[in-house]
Amino acid sequence: MKSFRKFFVLCLSFVMMLTLTACSSGGGSADADPTQKTVKIGVLVSDTTSAEALSFRSYYEKYIQSVYNVEFMYSDELTDAAAEQSAIDNFIANNCQAIISFASSDRPAQIEKCEQEGVYYAVATGTLTDDQYEQFKSYSHYVGAIGPDLAAEYQAGYDMAKHFLDQGYTKFGMFTGASVYFTEMHIYRAAGMLAAMCEAGKGDYSGATGYDIVGKIMADGGNVSTGKIGSVEVNGVVSGYDFDDAWFGKLAAVANDPNVDVLLAVGSGQTAFAGFKPEGKMLGDIDCYTADSVALMESGTLNYLAGKFSASIGPIFAATLSAVYGKPVRTAEGNALALSQGYWIATDAEMAKKYFEVDSSTTNPAYTKEKLDTLIGASYDDFAKFVAAYSFEEIQK
Amino acid sequence: MKIGKKLAGTLAIPVLVLAVCLLISGTKGILLFDSQLSWITFIRAAANVVLVTFALSINLNSGRFDFSIGSVALLSSVISSMIATKLNLSAVWMLALSVLFGALLGLISGLVYVSVKLPPIIVSLAVALFYEGFAFTLTGGHGVSFANNASLLGFGTIPNYLLVIASSLALMVIVYDHTKFGYEYKALLSGQKVAVNTGIKEVPNAVLCYVIAGILMGAQGFISATSNGAITMALNFGSISPMFMAFLPMFIGGFIGRFTNDKLGYLLGAISSALISLTYVRLNVSSSAQQIISAVLMVSFLIYLNNEGKLKQLLKR
Repeated sequence: MKSFRKFFVLCLSFVMMLTLTACSSGGGSADADPTQKTVKIGVLVSDTTSAEALSFRSYYEKYIQSVYNVEFMYSDELTDAAAEQSAIDNFIANNCQAIISFASSDRPAQIEKCEQEGVYYAVATGTLTDDQYEQFKSYSHYVGAIGPDLAAEYQAGYDMAKHFLDQGYTKFGMFTGASVYFTEMHIYRAAGMLAAMCEAGKGDYSGATGYDIVGKIMADGGNVSTGKIGSVEVNGVVSGYDFDDAWFGKLAAVANDPNVDVLLAVGSGQTAFAGFKPEGKMLGDIDCYTADSVALMESGTLNYLAGKFSASIGPIFAATLSAVYGKPVRTAEGNALALSQGYWIATDAEMAKKYFEVDSSTTNPAYTKEKLDTLIGASYDDFAKFVAAYSFEEIQK
Repeated sequence: MKIGKKLAGTLAIPVLVLAVCLLISGTKGILLFDSQLSWITFIRAAANVVLVTFALSINLNSGRFDFSIGSVALLSSVISSMIATKLNLSAVWMLALSVLFGALLGLISGLVYVSVKLPPIIVSLAVALFYEGFAFTLTGGHGVSFANNASLLGFGTIPNYLLVIASSLALMVIVYDHTKFGYEYKALLSGQKVAVNTGIKEVPNAVLCYVIAGILMGAQGFISATSNGAITMALNFGSISPMFMAFLPMFIGGFIGRFTNDKLGYLLGAISSALISLTYVRLNVSSSAQQIISAVLMVSFLIYLNNEGKLKQLLKR
């Protein structure tokens, strides 16, 4: 019996030794080449149905996942901060090593949680406010944010309105989307449009010009009012996403107003105005490139489109993966990334078609693996230079 | 009841609503009906609301709360618009397809309800999720856009909307007031146990109710889609919201139903609701203010209905 017990203990020790050796050798090879191990990345989303959200998802799932050893795990549509926290818990429970967030109900809480849990966190297609960046820039697990900052949103609105003002149009109708829900992105875009009108019309918007218009809209509860801005007129404004009879009625009324020549939308302009717009009127929108938007440009229904390109979320993925591989991209002071990106602007169908062909490709998108690989372990300056060259022509070089 | 009293009871609410809407817009110096577009907005809203009200009332009056009607409208319009745009069909064909698929989806809802024997509220939520997910998958999440298709958008005329309203009213009156099915439906409403004991089969009756609700929601989905040429996707019960527009007209219709045919009551309720919608449009009332006003109106009306007896006693003193 004694000898059997000795033999049993010996066997057990041998098995344990083998297991430990296997574990240590496995860890060693992963350290040697981290790309051999599949990296699980959680993606927080607050929107699962818009064209923009779908094209971003398609880029990650159909392209990035097929060329990198990564696995994306998407959250449900998150509508509040509690849901975001719960989704992060779920990602951590599923061994996600990093989280890329498109949800912004409570970004500071997301960052804090990921820092506590030791999970890398990055913001896609957006930026933190200056105060937030100051607070979180030194967090070791905060990778950073890349996307149109609020100045870029303001500029997108400004450029769109200016495009039509330069052609001599002076009578506008506006769709301000979620400005009434205090969505900063839409408020800044609307403010940019009004600022361009102030410059062209040599007037002011309720006493404000330039960036001051942002404060004016905020003070008015996110509402933009109709009226004259010098020689320019805003003769109709619709906001919100009610999708009820009154909302459609208001959109139809603005689109058919004889005192409106140009319809400007801060987003979803194709859903809001395209079906109601009579021939001869102009429509400008800030959204993304889809087959439908190209078709609308070809028919002359849509005349200007500032669109985010789906591959624009490639660099933040590369920065996140680089951090997971132990090569975080940080500023000279060791802080997280905070880089801005703008839009691709199409003023005719040919341009829109060209952009869409590249943007919708799942084999040769704007940012390919070859390009993104240069960002893994890159210096901050090289990374910033890469992101800054976001125009279609620069990327295609 | 005397004809004069009947007429007064029938028309009191729509006339009162019209007078108040005219007064409010008049004080702002705005004409309520200033152009053909105002008329189209009003009649389209009336058509949308009356279809949802009829569809909701069919099952709700029988104690079956059906949360899936919005998803039936969504999915039937998605399928019909995809077929119509692919085969280059006219708006009438799209309407026919939408109604057909609405009936089919209603049939599935009804069969699921009678098969699983769970409370209708739970079944309808599950069906709503399934239909929303199916529509999402069919369109790849992108929805359907046919803003370029003049043929489909061309349906939005006053005579067409009036025809839809008249057809839906005729369907409801004929089916529920002049057929064996309708009498059995009413018998089941007034006492299911007694009705079943007399030989009425409640299961086929319930299934057919779901089919008719599906037909109406198919038409509503078509009108909603062809008004702006786009169908946006809804997930996680996002399709439920259209049914809420039917509650106020249903309550108003129930009140008017004391003086006339209840279906006509629902139509007049829908017209009252459409007048309020048009006033929101003409005065450009913000969506937050709209929601508050609509909620106050509905609660006030319910308070009145619940305290009607007391109010009459007070007035008699």
